[in-house]
Amino acid sequence: MKVKWMKKMVALMAVGTMVLTLFAGCGSKEAKQEENPDSLNIMVWEGTWSEEIFKDFTKETGIEVNISYIDNTDTLLSKLVEGSAEYDLIDLEGAYVQSFVDGELLAKIDKSSLKNLSNIKDEYLEKGPIGDEEGAYTVTNMGPGYTSVVYNKETCPVEIHSLKDLADPALKGQIAMVNSTISLYGAALVACGYEANSTDEAEMKEANDLLKEIKKNVKAFVGETAVSVLENGECSVALCWDYMTLCNDNKENWDKFEMVELEDGCEQFIQYWAIPSSSTKQAAATQLIDFLLRPEEASKSYVEYGGNPNLKEDVLADYVPQDYYENPSFAKYDAVYDKSWNVAVDDEQISLMDTYYTELMGN
Amino acid sequence: MKKSRKETTFKARLSSFLMCAPITIWSVLFILLPVAMLVVMSFMTKGPLGRVVYSFTLENYTEILKPVYAEVVKQSLVIAVWTTALTVLLGYPLAAFIANVKKKTSGVLTVLLMLPLWVSGLVILYSFVVLLNTSGTINTILMNLHLIKEPLELLYNNFAVVVGMIYMFLPFAVLPMYSSIEKLDKGLIEASKDLGAGPVVTFFKVTLPLTSPGIFAAVILTFIPCIGYYMVTDMLGGGTSMMVGNLIYRQFTIARNWPFGAALSVILAVIILLMVLIYTKLGGDLDDLGA
Repeated sequence: MKVKWMKKMVALMAVGTMVLTLFAGCGSKEAKQEENPDSLNIMVWEGTWSEEIFKDFTKETGIEVNISYIDNTDTLLSKLVEGSAEYDLIDLEGAYVQSFVDGELLAKIDKSSLKNLSNIKDEYLEKGPIGDEEGAYTVTNMGPGYTSVVYNKETCPVEIHSLKDLADPALKGQIAMVNSTISLYGAALVACGYEANSTDEAEMKEANDLLKEIKKNVKAFVGETAVSVLENGECSVALCWDYMTLCNDNKENWDKFEMVELEDGCEQFIQYWAIPSSSTKQAAATQLIDFLLRPEEASKSYVEYGGNPNLKEDVLADYVPQDYYENPSFAKYDAVYDKSWNVAVDDEQISLMDTYYTELMGN
Repeated sequence: MKKSRKETTFKARLSSFLMCAPITIWSVLFILLPVAMLVVMSFMTKGPLGRVVYSFTLENYTEILKPVYAEVVKQSLVIAVWTTALTVLLGYPLAAFIANVKKKTSGVLTVLLMLPLWVSGLVILYSFVVLLNTSGTINTILMNLHLIKEPLELLYNNFAVVVGMIYMFLPFAVLPMYSSIEKLDKGLIEASKDLGAGPVVTFFKVTLPLTSPGIFAAVILTFIPCIGYYMVTDMLGGGTSMMVGNLIYRQFTIARNWPFGAALSVILAVIILLMVLIYTKLGGDLDDLGA
């Protein structure tokens, strides 16, 4: 009798808890703005931003900056869509801006409050990312980077001009490639003569066939960086986004490695500051963006981690080492700027790419 | 004043209820509810930007039958079977050794065996990268000793994957087998010898059958995490193949298809439950699985 009663009570509690939890997610989600917030939650890529800058911001404004690091942008997207995370400022990849804008996940930035906006190079201000061409939701926070083929001049056995050259059997076991679906399929589509944003099944299949050929030579797909596999000699060629990092890492790499100006063009990627629409501290977040555009502050990141500045050279001149721009990656990046392409994938394309990627990796 | 029987019963019930409440709420919130949500989600439709549209469909389950996904499942099973077989084959003699040394020594050996579990898997795998890469510790030592002229290709291949997998899962395999071997009645082995059986016959006719629940527990504890564990193939194998774990992870992130990811997770959970069911039907003890 007692056991029966207990069972009933436990079942009742279980049902009650489940119902309460289901209702916990309901309710209005209007981002009511706080006037004088005492903290900001930001999400940035690790190894990009000097923490000194955020300490300086706190010193000047009294607003604490809580930093979280991005695992990958897809996870960030999931968190914002599900409303399971509250961020006031995010460091967003250009390829994802369209998805974030379409999903109404970003707030417009009050550009009139950005006194330091003019410090940004004109060419970056003229054109916003795909999905925010007018730049209403984003402010560039770095100069562009490029996904391209980087090779070891001493050990690479073939000349490389196009992604298709990576299918040369002479490169067997010598290639490292990024495992980013967007970068891989974007580059393969462009190498096959199509748009990087294609959703045409036949074109995607052709790109996949090219990647299958190249995969025969691939030793490793790398998640974040190909620097170590190139530096330790594990691979002599890499399709990666690390040329500038490689050059920053060690001056010996300047003569040792070269980035290919792919005849089909290289994928350009730019990072942007964006304010989530769910943020209740949008004014303070805008204030932080402006602070980050001060040359004396922005330079701290460049000195600590390197990187392609988004600020004008003359504005930064007094704050970075004199030889900062001697790094050969700057000249290379300038050379590929005009021939580069951008990508912004939508749900349909990412789904198609993912199916082909699964097939590629399942073989 | 004498308390009524009714009042005493109510107080006893209330105290039992209060004692059960925390674990019940915990189990509902963090086990039952998430699993229920996963099952429900697996029958829902994919919406824009990874959102879930609450409209019933069986498409997520029919999708799994497509050859492209079957290939990934096959690949995962092959790696899991190899890892499990090698781990159990290596782990059994080790478990027997630990079970047959002095108590004090066996305690020390068990702690040593557990040590890798106290370190993050990611740290262990990075250590393997440092050890095995072309200019890594092993190649450097062999080159300096003039034992090899060219560095050995130890990383980003199946050898590295198998070594990494065995290292990660050996403790899970050894512990249940050790428990089984230790419980074994040594008198039965003596009896077998007295009846004229040699060590090999005694092992196959007495020791092995009596320790089989431990072996099966080891198989389950190795095989189950192996199917979903993709860090080793990614970091040591060069990420040139895909495991079921990768596939599920990608659905919840890159592919923005949570319902399909949920369906894959449900299928994986069903396979695991079936294995546990078979284990218990064959007389296995859930305690050996950590239940």
